[in-house]
Amino acid sequence: MKKTIGLILSFCLLIACSSSDNAPDDQVDTFDRSVMLTNWADNIIIPAYQRYISQLDLLKTAATSFSAAPSTSTLSALRDQWLEAYLAYQHVSMFEIGPAESISLRNYTNIYPADQQSIVENLETGDYNLVLPSTNDEQGFPAMDYLLFGIADTDEAHVEILSTPIASTYLLALVERLNDLGTTVLEEWRDSYRDIFVSNSGSTATSAVNKMANDYIFYYEKALRAGKIGIPAGVFSGTALSNRVEGLYSRSYSKRLFNAALDAAESFFKGESFGSSQTGESLASYLDHLSSDKDGERLSALIINQFSNARSTANDLLDDFYSQVEEDNSKMLMTYDQLQANVILMKVDMFQALNIKVDYVDADGD
Amino acid sequence: MMKFNWLVVIAVLLISACDSDDNPAPAPDIDVPATYSFVRSGASTVSFSGQTTRIRMGEELISAMKDFSSTEEALLEMYRNKTASDGDANPFEDAELNASTKSIKSKTGASKDLFSANATEAAEIKADFESWISAQVSEVFPNEEVLAEAGVAGQIDDGGSTRYVNAKGLEYNQAVNKSLIGGLMLDQLINNYLGETVLDESTNREDNDNETLADGKNYTTMEHKWDEAYGYLFGNADNTAAPMSELGSSDSFLNKYLGRVAGDEDFANIGQEIYDALKLGRAAIVAKQYDVRDEQAAILRQKLSEVIAIRTIYYLQQGKNALADGKFGTAFHDLSEGFGFVYSLRFTRNPNTPNSFFSKSEVDGFINDIYGSDNGFWDLDGATLDAVSESIASKFDFTVEQAGS
Repeated sequence: MKKTIGLILSFCLLIACSSSDNAPDDQVDTFDRSVMLTNWADNIIIPAYQRYISQLDLLKTAATSFSAAPSTSTLSALRDQWLEAYLAYQHVSMFEIGPAESISLRNYTNIYPADQQSIVENLETGDYNLVLPSTNDEQGFPAMDYLLFGIADTDEAHVEILSTPIASTYLLALVERLNDLGTTVLEEWRDSYRDIFVSNSGSTATSAVNKMANDYIFYYEKALRAGKIGIPAGVFSGTALSNRVEGLYSRSYSKRLFNAALDAAESFFKGESFGSSQTGESLASYLDHLSSDKDGERLSALIINQFSNARSTANDLLDDFYSQVEEDNSKMLMTYDQLQANVILMKVDMFQALNIKVDYVDADGD
Repeated sequence: MMKFNWLVVIAVLLISACDSDDNPAPAPDIDVPATYSFVRSGASTVSFSGQTTRIRMGEELISAMKDFSSTEEALLEMYRNKTASDGDANPFEDAELNASTKSIKSKTGASKDLFSANATEAAEIKADFESWISAQVSEVFPNEEVLAEAGVAGQIDDGGSTRYVNAKGLEYNQAVNKSLIGGLMLDQLINNYLGETVLDESTNREDNDNETLADGKNYTTMEHKWDEAYGYLFGNADNTAAPMSELGSSDSFLNKYLGRVAGDEDFANIGQEIYDALKLGRAAIVAKQYDVRDEQAAILRQKLSEVIAIRTIYYLQQGKNALADGKFGTAFHDLSEGFGFVYSLRFTRNPNTPNSFFSKSEVDGFINDIYGSDNGFWDLDGATLDAVSESIASKFDFTVEQAGS
């Protein structure tokens, strides 16, 4: 009798003290991560960079044409091509991994708001060094947004200002810099990083899947949700900051840029080949492989559905987010809420299902 | 009846088996207040204005080190609160700081327990800070518009922030900021004010037993010494009596990094444990229970030393991860913070000994490992950072993995 009780007792003690270490299910994860990495690299990331670089080449041509024969018509062509390249960039911005990460591509390509005062100084003095990190808000698409759309009141005045030798050189230097950075990244993907990426198919914190998933969520959270919507809507500051929108000076493209970014993020989640709806292995199929459900529904379906909710809420926004913030910020806030819902589904639920740990924290501000 | 008894036994065992924090309740005659507030004759007995002053001087110094218009003279005056010729200086924006006769330098590497018989090292420490301050102006400021590379000071990108480093990749402002956490705040707190040399100096015990107050004050000298220890951690809080809700945001020094460590789920309780030990130790002084006071001092030495060691390893590991990604600017920023925390290890204290957990030669060795080669951080590899991290962790009960993320 006593022995039995003793046994029961020790058993109870064991149970009582085992901490609940939510280990993922013991089922073996048989998903082939290398197939997903191959799909990401060959069908999504590299083609997206190729498209981006081809748009930058066209941008260079347009800038050279404008510089050779400044006119409102060459200016207009340059503006159109700036937009095309900017839209193409929205499809690569989330891939801040490997070569893009080490050269800090996003920080030299799309930091906004641009530093208007420094840009004007550069335009007047010709004294700038775009490789310096401190000049990252004097270059990239936002700096060109200001030069091409915001530096004067009329198209004719833009042509006049931008056709001085110093201004023309600066404009070309900005395009050249975008081109150099983007080309460096694409070439490294082709030459070596693609194989490194695909073969790093383990499941440790430094594996390609874990890192790419983190970079993707980081982008979604910081650049897309906060940068394009939350910050201008004043979510973090308490007061709306209309001058923080993307495309501040052109005043008509914020929504297109946002939609391109949202589409790109959703396509990546679904594993769609760049520019087509053909799908391969992806975060979505990985979740399905693991039969990940939430509240009785497929987690992948919930996430895709939430992308749709965000898109349809954003449909009500004006093309120009500056005006939207100024006129009716509540729609920006509603869009933010829809975007935020997917942060929860992906960063919490998806990461838990895939057993991926968040590898970034908010910078400690010093 | 028999069954019932066994159930009770099991239940009791179950409860006690999981009760890991065996904090003995304080002796019944110690009155521990809910917050760090102590009163005699209706007036507060708590005072640590000198500590608040030095924290604020430190804040102005580290901020001015990032301002390219600062002169070497002005920065050194902020460190010394004296002119080069030992005259009265007014280098601070805050007039109260200018009016003060206190300085950062006089209390840097200056604890009774570690340095009263080690003037040589104390002088070296004070000089290290001056050399970093001077080098910021002479090496880094001239290269404001230069891109840093191995062997060249200048600016470097840290994920959108611009950092300014010397030719070996070190941010001198971080070296000063993080080294002050050990060299000033921690050293004064655990090696000076919590030590028996200071607490029991002269007639302190007798005075405290008899409640003989310091001249013109409402506190006994022993009470005041303990408060001065408290002030180096909580002296810049908005609510200094109940500072835990703002833990981590009261300053850029020890308070900030205790907050950071307590934000790591592996060490979630450490902030509260330290606050409670400071509170109980002070209450024990009021109750004249010096054994309880000294137990709390030992807890504080252990835990605050752990805070420094944990944060050191954290930055070394973060630096390692960033290096692996080719993010030199991010890595160097982490390593610059790590450099200062490594330097601060010298001022930790093994509570069972009169010494630091780390000898001078150990700390010098770590610094040489991470920074000693010709190009400093540019030459570093992950294996070196792991080896230093492991050496540090081996003195404590936590792992590199727990501290490093």
